[in-house]
Amino acid sequence: MAKEKESGDEHVLNLGIDLGTSRSSVSASNGARHMIDSYVGWPVDMVARKVIKRDVLIGREALDNRLMLDLHRPLERGLIREGSEKAIAAVRELLRHLMALAGVDEALEKGLKVRAVVGVPAEALRVNKQQLRSAMSGLVDSLMIVSEPFAVAYGLDALLHALIVDLGAGTTDFCVMKGRYPREEDQRTLTQAGDFVDQQLMQLFQASNPEANVTGHMVSEWKENYSFVGEARDRVVVEAPVQGKPTQFDITEEMQAACESLLPHVTETMIDLISRVEPEYQARMRGNVILSGGTALIKGLGVSLQDALQEVGGGKVRVVKDPVYVGSDGGLAIAIDAPESDWELLQA
Amino acid sequence: MASVTRVKQRLLREAVEENVFLVQGKRPPRRSGRPRVYRGLRAAFFVVAPLALFSLTYVVGRAAAEKTGAGASGLGRPILLSREPLPSPVVETPQAVVLASAPSFAAPEPIGREVFPLAVRRVVLDPGHGGENRGTASRDGLMEKELTLDIAERLRALLEGAAFEVEMTRTDDATLSLARRGELANRAEGDIFVSIHVNWLEDTDARGVETFYLGPTDDPYLERLAASENGDGSLRLAELREALERVYAGVRREESRALAEAVQRSLLVSLRTLDPGVRNRGVKTAPFGVLIRTQMPAILAEVGALSSEVDSELFRDPSYRQYLAEALFEGIQAYSRNLSDNSA
Repeated sequence: MAKEKESGDEHVLNLGIDLGTSRSSVSASNGARHMIDSYVGWPVDMVARKVIKRDVLIGREALDNRLMLDLHRPLERGLIREGSEKAIAAVRELLRHLMALAGVDEALEKGLKVRAVVGVPAEALRVNKQQLRSAMSGLVDSLMIVSEPFAVAYGLDALLHALIVDLGAGTTDFCVMKGRYPREEDQRTLTQAGDFVDQQLMQLFQASNPEANVTGHMVSEWKENYSFVGEARDRVVVEAPVQGKPTQFDITEEMQAACESLLPHVTETMIDLISRVEPEYQARMRGNVILSGGTALIKGLGVSLQDALQEVGGGKVRVVKDPVYVGSDGGLAIAIDAPESDWELLQA
Repeated sequence: MASVTRVKQRLLREAVEENVFLVQGKRPPRRSGRPRVYRGLRAAFFVVAPLALFSLTYVVGRAAAEKTGAGASGLGRPILLSREPLPSPVVETPQAVVLASAPSFAAPEPIGREVFPLAVRRVVLDPGHGGENRGTASRDGLMEKELTLDIAERLRALLEGAAFEVEMTRTDDATLSLARRGELANRAEGDIFVSIHVNWLEDTDARGVETFYLGPTDDPYLERLAASENGDGSLRLAELREALERVYAGVRREESRALAEAVQRSLLVSLRTLDPGVRNRGVKTAPFGVLIRTQMPAILAEVGALSSEVDSELFRDPSYRQYLAEALFEGIQAYSRNLSDNSA
């Protein structure tokens, strides 16, 4: 849909942005698609500034140089961390960077209008959305904020009898699509998501290997490379220092337990939401469960959730092909489809 | 394809509408999926229940009066009522003088909650102060009005997640009189009303939580506190008199007390897991204006003290504010569960 209308308005650059706790992505109507780690860092002192030769580092670059930086992950559970001006500044840097990657600077030079649709967790409060509006002020001409799973549903045309489960780092967002704009009761947000798995893995690893020295970033990388639920196909072996000496650890059981700790929360919410749908449509809803988001990449997750649906009559769970960009692609589709007259009402 | 396009157009229209409200700083209208008939029944309950209560009291009272031969004078004593004089609200203010000289009236004895099937479905949250009325403030500028709104928003999310309906008296930094707050709560037909405040204590080392429901007090500290919280000057003498009469209408007073106790207990248990030294300042009665004007069980919770440097520091932390919201939520849930169990 986005591509079809791409050339519809040559005077506008449309953007879909998925602002995530761990990763953020942007899809633009000029064809650009980028994903960055949601980290922003400022040099801690003059020495660091001299080494880095930049005022601010963003994304993976910030992570890689974190020892020299005042490092911020400004989005907590998909929202701007509260009470911190630094967090707001960091979000603005993050957005500025994402938009630069998407070609916003060139678009502005050509005199194009820039419009953005940003996805936020399903249960984001109004104050959170207003904070986001403030952070975006001056960066785009017009702005629309929608719930992230709604953006996913819109992008996939899954508008009727579908349950979207958007598994991010900070939150897992659920959205029941009934052919209408989701109401409060159609949406649910859990804080059991990717970061929750990291915490579980860290605890389990430290309990069985107290001598090893690990950081949250290391654990997070292990999860991204080896996460799985169900039966293990290969042993998961990782390396961590013990008193400075690189040592190998088999963490297969810990990885499985940490990833599977997510299952009861997601299953319970999924079944609860489906049970609230009108009875005659429940089977269709069960047969159309869609997983998106980075944490949906845990191997075997879709199959395990589908198995869990057996207890309520069975269903079908599918993981979208491109779970990392599906949110920003959906946002872009909304941005393109929204009529000009509506955008006039939503000036940033 | 045509139908997908139509659905998309409708969805976009609603998404835009919600954003326009956001741009305007207004709360979008609630689009509830609940059938309208439910709301109708609910409204009917609120109309019928007081009428039924009144009729029951009247009929039983007449019967008893006739039995004792007092009915003819019209001064008969309904058996649900007692003639014990009202305890005089000993407040050294002009209001107290008027109250003391007001005609005495019979104070109804509490009516058991089993009379009506009670349940909490709609909660009205009242973030204290706002706009020009900033409330108290810490030495480093943390303002009560901001904290109360933040905690209320968090509490609202928790309550809505647990299927309560929530109405807020304010959702932004608006100046709102006490009268307006009461009016909003009554119009929303809330089942309970929870006003959130942060205290200032003379002893700046003191910390603790206290929860109030409406009633008289002879504690000078509480008089001062009520005077400061009632500080918008919108409370008329007649209203105070009328309200304190209503205080003694059993169900509301008893339910307010039960709600205050549940919330205080929950606040205390939660905060003491963080700091065993947090003081239980108790469940108390005081004539707060905002409680006077509400017609449902109502409480005012002072969830900490900005006079304390320790509390001020804690309040700065969003996770602590979330913790407080969760404690309030637990208290409301406990009260609601208890209510449902007892009326089942």
